[in-house]
Amino acid sequence: MKVAISYPPIVNDRGQKAMVSQNRNVQFFKTPTYLLPVVHGQAATWLKNLGFEVIWDDGNAQLKSYDQWYQNLVAMTPDVVVFESTTPVMNFYWRTTAALKKDLPGTIFIMTGYHSMRRPEETLEEAPFDIVLRSNHVDFVLSKLIPVIAANADWRQSCDIEGLVIRDANGKFRSTGHFRQVEPLERSPIIDRDLVQWRNYAYENGNYLQTPGTYATSVVRDCMFGKCTFCRYNGPDLTFSMLPVEKSLDEYERLINDYGVKEIFDDSGVWYRGKEAREFAEGIIKRGLHKKGCYFGFNTRFEYLDKDTIELLAKANFRFVLIGLEAADEETLVKLNKGYQLQHVERSLKWMSDAGLHPHLTIMVGYYWQTREQLRQTVDFVKSLMFRGLARTMQVTLCTPLDFTPYHQECISKDVLLTKNYDDFDMSKLIVKTPIPHSEYYDAVKELYGIAFHPRFLLRQAQYLLTFRRRDWQFLFTYGIRAIRRVRNHIFNLTSADAGPKQATLHPPTGNSLT
Amino acid sequence: MRSGLHKVIGVDLLTDLTYMLRLERNDMSFVPGQCFNLGIPDTAVNREYSSYSGIYDDELQFLIRQVEGGQVSPKFRSLRAGDMVEVDGAYGMFVIDQDLVKTRKFYFIATGTGIAPFHCFAKSFRDLDYQLIHGTRYANECYHRQDYEQGRYINCATTENSGDFHGRVTDYLKINPPPIDAMFYLCGNRNMINDAYDLLRSRGISSSQIITEVFF
Repeated sequence: MKVAISYPPIVNDRGQKAMVSQNRNVQFFKTPTYLLPVVHGQAATWLKNLGFEVIWDDGNAQLKSYDQWYQNLVAMTPDVVVFESTTPVMNFYWRTTAALKKDLPGTIFIMTGYHSMRRPEETLEEAPFDIVLRSNHVDFVLSKLIPVIAANADWRQSCDIEGLVIRDANGKFRSTGHFRQVEPLERSPIIDRDLVQWRNYAYENGNYLQTPGTYATSVVRDCMFGKCTFCRYNGPDLTFSMLPVEKSLDEYERLINDYGVKEIFDDSGVWYRGKEAREFAEGIIKRGLHKKGCYFGFNTRFEYLDKDTIELLAKANFRFVLIGLEAADEETLVKLNKGYQLQHVERSLKWMSDAGLHPHLTIMVGYYWQTREQLRQTVDFVKSLMFRGLARTMQVTLCTPLDFTPYHQECISKDVLLTKNYDDFDMSKLIVKTPIPHSEYYDAVKELYGIAFHPRFLLRQAQYLLTFRRRDWQFLFTYGIRAIRRVRNHIFNLTSADAGPKQATLHPPTGNSLT
Repeated sequence: MRSGLHKVIGVDLLTDLTYMLRLERNDMSFVPGQCFNLGIPDTAVNREYSSYSGIYDDELQFLIRQVEGGQVSPKFRSLRAGDMVEVDGAYGMFVIDQDLVKTRKFYFIATGTGIAPFHCFAKSFRDLDYQLIHGTRYANECYHRQDYEQGRYINCATTENSGDFHGRVTDYLKINPPPIDAMFYLCGNRNMINDAYDLLRSRGISSSQIITEVFF
């Protein structure tokens, strides 16, 4: 049986590609970031290990045009195609699958991802998908499901693997119940880097201070906090699972020694904390991996890491720490269920920057309640942190409700959503009613990105570079150039949003098959 | 959801490593099963703990196991009456559907301090028909078993023969199969959750009847 795990190139009419960004949100950029879909990479590896023929078909990372990708996929005649959903590309996937089903009538189409898992019937109604996975544990489910399909001609009726909605032989939808929330992650294989063609993802990624970089197999799926209302890793259906420290260390050792990786980022919603974080850092040092010129990075939350642990991580050659600073007013943090207090932000960042870590802030603006004063507080606070060198880099996004997160549901129930068209949920413009004009939030984003060109910030960055233990001037050129390109991308998008509600058209256009 | 400083009423030592942190409630509201973030003021570090106390209790209680080599749990243990704790919350969706309370039997399966949300359920829902199966190493880890109605609490002690049952919670469930139409809540270490989940599914219990939360 031939299984294609597919990511079609999605290009809008501005010529921008859909890139999967923080928390696997989709944004469109001229110069995309190519993020390795980690869980799907594990699924591909697992299926290959089970003896199935697996096609790793990431048209984006493989730099294919949509037509090339489509024609190649049809020519390969896979028995199963697996896609990953998120709100802004649902219409695209529905159209694409409708076209593909005509050209590949015998192929089974499976949809995964956080949008369809919460509205499986919608996807089955809108497009000729055969199965929708309700589980975030795509690797575990596919490793059970594909053998069942291969061995049972009547799988539509007989398959009882939990967490599926199946289109049965009569076209009706059959649910197999709730999915298994906790899985023993150590049973899922470490990603086969050759299978997923890891080098395609090794350079264009803003989270890498050095290249080639790669994503580790996530140690936590999805997030051990899992309460932030805007985040897709939050819901009554989700808890978290954790990979043992030693297994992750084994992977790091292999990535460094066998693949020559110079940066490893773990994109778990939140990485280890406390005892596990210290054990991991000690393991890196014990194995001598901190002396191999490879940096390590992760996502964390404020108030998760103490000073001693941060210093130990720095000693183990950790650098890039991505940390959400969603707003600088307590009311917003409370509404978002962030679970940290503003008063501790500076101290946490100071511990990190003093230890030589590289805190990267992720900021959001445009909450449906955000006032001018709250917005100004956020802008001023972030500028202050950046100018004082407490954070090294940052990114700002427009808070966009998607994938039926609690924030999304709240926007629906409070009737603040300005559109129901999923294409509009691509983070390029605000889609909620707000107390002040949208242009003020866009201006705030531009002002924040303007920090990158401010003399005070540039001076701080120069001072920071001089403190590098290894005088890594490569960083200045590679990371700096990539950072500036990202800033230009963001500002371009906001300039377009300012110009009016121009609707991006995703290819293929509605109703057309491109074959 | 709110945050604030809460005064420590006391720290009750229950075993060598486990204790109950008791805080003034300050009108803090929550749904049974939810957790709070607790932090020592000015340390800039917090941790999540499920409420051990019920919604009608005057104080907030948290059942905490001290992590060996941990940075946070030993500090909570050393608190004294009158000290302050930062409390954020409440969060989480490991909660009971109120509509099911009067119509369904509930099986609560826990290991160690994973019993905390079930203690909260038992104290909050007076009409709840439940069976609590608690896995511990030793029988002295049956924290506050007097708080449960007669016959509802079963201790499964793995390293000594003085509990209600000698063995793992999964061993108990194999010998005492639960009703197939009950609701099952699993909370504790992930190995127990995985094993218990497999066992329940093998008995024909639907995945929609099994709700899990990992403690670590």
